[in-house]
Amino acid sequence: MKHQMRSMIGKMKIKIPAYTVCIIGIILLQSTVLDYIRIYNVKPNLIIVFTVSVAFLNGSIEGAIVGFFAGLAQDIVTGKLIGFYALLGLYLGLAVGSINKRLYRDNMLVVIFFTFISTIVYESAVYFLWSFRSIISGQINLLYPLKEVILPEVVYNSAISVFVYILVMKLSRAFEETDRK
Amino acid sequence: MSHIACGKGTHSLRHLIKSKVFLFIVITIVLLVTIALTADSNSKLNWIGNIFSVPLSPVQKLFSTAGQKIDEAVSFFKDIEAIKTENEELRKRVSELERENRELEAFKEKNEELRKALNLKDRFAEYTIIGSNVIAKDAGNWFDIFRIDVGTRDGIKGDMPVVTNSRGLVGRILTSDITSSKVISIIDEDSQVAGWISKTGGHVIVRGDYALKDEGLCRMDYIAGDIDVKVGDIIETSGLGGIYPKGIVIGEVKEIRMINSEFNRYAIIEPAVDFKSLEEVYVLKNK
Repeated sequence: MKHQMRSMIGKMKIKIPAYTVCIIGIILLQSTVLDYIRIYNVKPNLIIVFTVSVAFLNGSIEGAIVGFFAGLAQDIVTGKLIGFYALLGLYLGLAVGSINKRLYRDNMLVVIFFTFISTIVYESAVYFLWSFRSIISGQINLLYPLKEVILPEVVYNSAISVFVYILVMKLSRAFEETDRK
Repeated sequence: MSHIACGKGTHSLRHLIKSKVFLFIVITIVLLVTIALTADSNSKLNWIGNIFSVPLSPVQKLFSTAGQKIDEAVSFFKDIEAIKTENEELRKRVSELERENRELEAFKEKNEELRKALNLKDRFAEYTIIGSNVIAKDAGNWFDIFRIDVGTRDGIKGDMPVVTNSRGLVGRILTSDITSSKVISIIDEDSQVAGWISKTGGHVIVRGDYALKDEGLCRMDYIAGDIDVKVGDIIETSGLGGIYPKGIVIGEVKEIRMINSEFNRYAIIEPAVDFKSLEEVYVLKNK
């Protein structure tokens, strides 16, 4: 028990700075360079992809923490309200992490599938939460967000998830190794 | 985490789950409160942003410049063929324009004279104009919010109008941190600007739209039935609402669309500002 606690604290010492660097890097890319390489007017959402990969590999708590801070960073940099993306990220990490035990971790297709579903749910949530005013007045356009934003982003995110997943997997292995030493 | 709990038995497991659920509920409530509080753009809570934005804005500036350079490099190779033919055409245009220019020069002098005679005031005389660079674009795909490199240190506050060097309306300040601020542009879904049709007169509302945002356009609503609107009409701010001063050019009417009847209509506005290539903007600060 004591040993486990000590190893957990030891891991946290590496994990916290590592994730901090990752989140800052992702936010920087997301708000600057990625804007110039849009495909079909859409850029990928590395925040979703990263949160899904972390939650998938390391469970719901870690997923929720990473999702929360990545979302908070997005809120601060270009969000309209502080806490909106943080809340979404928190539940994204929690949801993806809580189903990971029943599936094969090393199967890349499962990760792509998770990213696929997560992007649809997450982006739909953003759209609906922001446009409930128009939903009430009956002006909602359902075809546009699906066709022009969500679907291209889903494809983009799913493709990128392969690389992000490999990166997060290598990072997790590095955590394990430093722990053993 | 869970294997630690298993070792302690089911009782503590239940306890742990309970406490986790409790923790998530608390976090959710706290976040909902911050969301509600930060809806007010001058809320004190927006100061949380400083923790992250102050050290990050110089780095963002660097990344943004790198992005622009990549963009330029990519389009350089893509466009080289098109540039050649364009060059030919442009040479012809230049000689044409040079002649026209000489004529206009004469008009300009005349205009200057008449202006002085009429004693026209500069529209922005009562504002201090603060120049700034765009350092970060919206991180997602839904909105059009960007960051600029001036903040409360430079006297920037929420709701100040933002324009380009040609004095086209960009949007307004959403919130400001010490060294940087968020700007919400007029093509964002949540933006509404009180407009005025400058030729025929008449109040309208210009607002952003999800579907038009990607093309850099916005829509014009509440066009009264008796107002005459034509494609090409210039729309400027009316000064109503207290955020934007009167007389800033928003854009021109690109298309008029009817809903059901002729009097139920809205128009597509092509803003005077190209939001895709926005690099420098100016904040208007009340003197």
